[in-house]
Amino acid sequence: MIRDITIGQYYPVDSKLHRLDPRVKIMCTLLYLISLFLFRNIYGYIVATIFLVSVIHISKVPFKFIVKGLKPIILLLMITVVFNLFLTKTGKVLLEFWILTITEDGLRTAVFMAIRLIYLILGSSLMTFTTTPNALTDGIEKLLWPFRKIKLPVHEIAMMMSIALRFIPILLEETDKIMKAQIARGADLENGNIIQKAKAMIPILVPLFVSAFRRATDLAMAMEARCYRGGDGRTKMKPLVYQKKDYIAYAITILYMAIAVIVGNI
Amino acid sequence: MSMIKAENLIFEYEKRDNEGNVIGVRRAIDDICLDIEPGQFIAILGHNGSGKSTLAKHMNAILVPNGGTMWVDGKDTKKEEHIWQVRQSAGMVFQNPDNQIIGTVVEEDVGFGPENLGVPTDDIWKRVEESLASVGMLEYRYHSPNKLSGGQKQRVAIAGVVAMRPKCIVLDEPTAMLDPNGRKEVLKTIEELRRKERITVILITHYMEEVVGADRVIVMDQGHIVMDGATHEVFSQVEKLKEYRLDVPQVTLLAYELKKRGYPIPDGILTTEELLKALVVCKKIDKAEENSQNERISFKREEEEPILRLEHVNYIYSPGNAYEKHALKDINLDIYEGQFLGIIGHTGSGKSTLIQHMNGLVKATDGAIYYKGENIYSEKYNLRQLRNNVGLVFQYPEHQLFEMDVLSDVCFGPKNQGLSDEECKERAIEALQLVGLPEKYYGVSPFELSGGQKRRVAIAGVLAMKPKVLILDEPTAGLDPKGRDEILDQIAYLQKAGNMTVVLVSHSMEDVAKYVDRIVVMNKGAKLFDDVPKAVFSQYKELEKVGLAAPQVTYMMHALWEQGIAVDTQATTIEEAVESISSALKK
Repeated sequence: MIRDITIGQYYPVDSKLHRLDPRVKIMCTLLYLISLFLFRNIYGYIVATIFLVSVIHISKVPFKFIVKGLKPIILLLMITVVFNLFLTKTGKVLLEFWILTITEDGLRTAVFMAIRLIYLILGSSLMTFTTTPNALTDGIEKLLWPFRKIKLPVHEIAMMMSIALRFIPILLEETDKIMKAQIARGADLENGNIIQKAKAMIPILVPLFVSAFRRATDLAMAMEARCYRGGDGRTKMKPLVYQKKDYIAYAITILYMAIAVIVGNI
Repeated sequence: MSMIKAENLIFEYEKRDNEGNVIGVRRAIDDICLDIEPGQFIAILGHNGSGKSTLAKHMNAILVPNGGTMWVDGKDTKKEEHIWQVRQSAGMVFQNPDNQIIGTVVEEDVGFGPENLGVPTDDIWKRVEESLASVGMLEYRYHSPNKLSGGQKQRVAIAGVVAMRPKCIVLDEPTAMLDPNGRKEVLKTIEELRRKERITVILITHYMEEVVGADRVIVMDQGHIVMDGATHEVFSQVEKLKEYRLDVPQVTLLAYELKKRGYPIPDGILTTEELLKALVVCKKIDKAEENSQNERISFKREEEEPILRLEHVNYIYSPGNAYEKHALKDINLDIYEGQFLGIIGHTGSGKSTLIQHMNGLVKATDGAIYYKGENIYSEKYNLRQLRNNVGLVFQYPEHQLFEMDVLSDVCFGPKNQGLSDEECKERAIEALQLVGLPEKYYGVSPFELSGGQKRRVAIAGVLAMKPKVLILDEPTAGLDPKGRDEILDQIAYLQKAGNMTVVLVSHSMEDVAKYVDRIVVMNKGAKLFDDVPKAVFSQYKELEKVGLAAPQVTYMMHALWEQGIAVDTQATTIEEAVESISSALKK
């Protein structure tokens, strides 16, 4: 069930996009997301579509795989469309029945909004498809580095994220094992109302928490034993250094943004 | 200068009540003096709770003594300014392979230590490569640690320590959670490191076979050092070792028993070869005729309906995608009432998957399973009822405890069966008595018990459901030898006294040989052997090919036979072997 969601997954192929510095991918995705809200006419959307399609092409991630990422937001998408469609009262009336009216403006905003949302998801999931969780954490750490001046524990946040990534699969497996063990002891996890179901989770959650804490204590000790003492004085095995291709990527994205904004506001 | 030196070391754990007030202390280390020379291989033995892990944590300054002084490479661990130097010169490897790997990629994890030390980037890469090569894991450098076996994970952990260029490595029960293959891998790695890199190695363990190659053995008990000397010296004192709840290798035990009977055998025999040499000197005998006492005992009962029957069971993991794996291949198995069955195989052989079929937790891709003649896959079959009848105790079952006190936790099963509160309690008490847990613990939180006690509670939790068949997945994993024997004796008692059918899953032949009356050997998802223990062990050469080993005694007996001494090669226990050897030598 959890495994069906493709958002946030890494797709392991080797492409130009995969090899970019994670900071570039984070920043450019951010710029792209902002750009989606800066144009108002159809030309802007055309420019965005061209940009998105060519980036997807460069990424070598199959289009089908990316589209799968839209599944979990279908409901959200439908709600947005319905609201925009029926609640916009301005513009020429196209259709009227019972208390519902569809206007030209409403139709346009609904379609644009849907496209915007889809592009948003496609763009950001493209970033996670092409960047390993580790690289992403490194990128975030480096990007947030200046904020240490205002006492933001940047290194600690990044370390927490990477430890979480390391232990998620372990804890998933453990949950599975505990569930099986309690079922073997006669636990009923499927039947009953919400309260009964919540209660049935206790024999699973308590051991899971106990185990997580035990692992945390062990891990903390192992980290200390390997001389971990926070971010100060630490060197990096894989330091992030901008290459020529990274600057080119920045340039392309900014160029796209400029064109989209200019064309989109004619 | 000594590598590690302790003088009158004392360490106390504080016991606190719920408000955090100190209500008492427990002395884990009591006045220890120790001096370890650089370059040595030291083994520290002791049962769980003997203080050996606490001592190890002092060598890495994770703990600092309450009294006395510990010097590592000449530096006092109590001094704040020395702490990082101490940790760098004495690296530490822990028991649980999962909980000490920090990186999500192997090479990044190995780089973690050097990163912390502030080593320049180029140098980190060099160190990572070198240390991964030294443990033989270089080809796995881009892998995720989650995809590695236990032994491989421990080797990565060792590489992570080696990359910090320590003078000494302290390994705290590095093999306790591994299967025999993993144990071999790790021990070989340690041995190689010692030879090539000349690192001081301190190995903490409760398996005595692992320390045969050590220069010096230290035995701890109740916070004291009770034995300290060359390996042969320490191993010659069998009685004393047993007293300290340690497990003497079968060969040593055999030599000791034979010596007691008056044979001129030297003290402290450690390997099969040594004993063989000593025995051949005893008497040369012409090659005996084929053994006549080879009567065939069969476990099959033709006239009886099996309590559990598996017919052509196949199981395929995630069919149709890249992770597809044929975990069980055409398994046929009849288990009869009252039988004590051992299932043996190493990690990944399919033994755990197999037992999860027996109570319907996992549904076979193909094939049928019958409980008392009824197909459990038929539409109206009550699977919950099946789970009441076929109790399954998982590996590390204490990890499933969750209630506030022991008694309520054991009541969980019966409660799910819909029994009244009194009945539940009655059943729980009965089950706790069966596993031999003293009554004073009934009201205690299960999390306050010792490892062995927790396991008993967890087993009681399944027993309270009054199963007809009891399946246990590695019930002795992580216990010390004494704890292991206690649990196995208890299970054997349950099987006999309660006339229960017991299925015991294990990767240790020696554990199983003593108890079961039938062994199923699993390999790569298929059944390799299914016979009485003697018959299975006589195939010891085949077993070796699949990475399993027969008990040491089997090897000894075969070696003797080849030397022309007319022993019974089918002897599997020490007692049988002693009898057979002494009668053969008398002839």
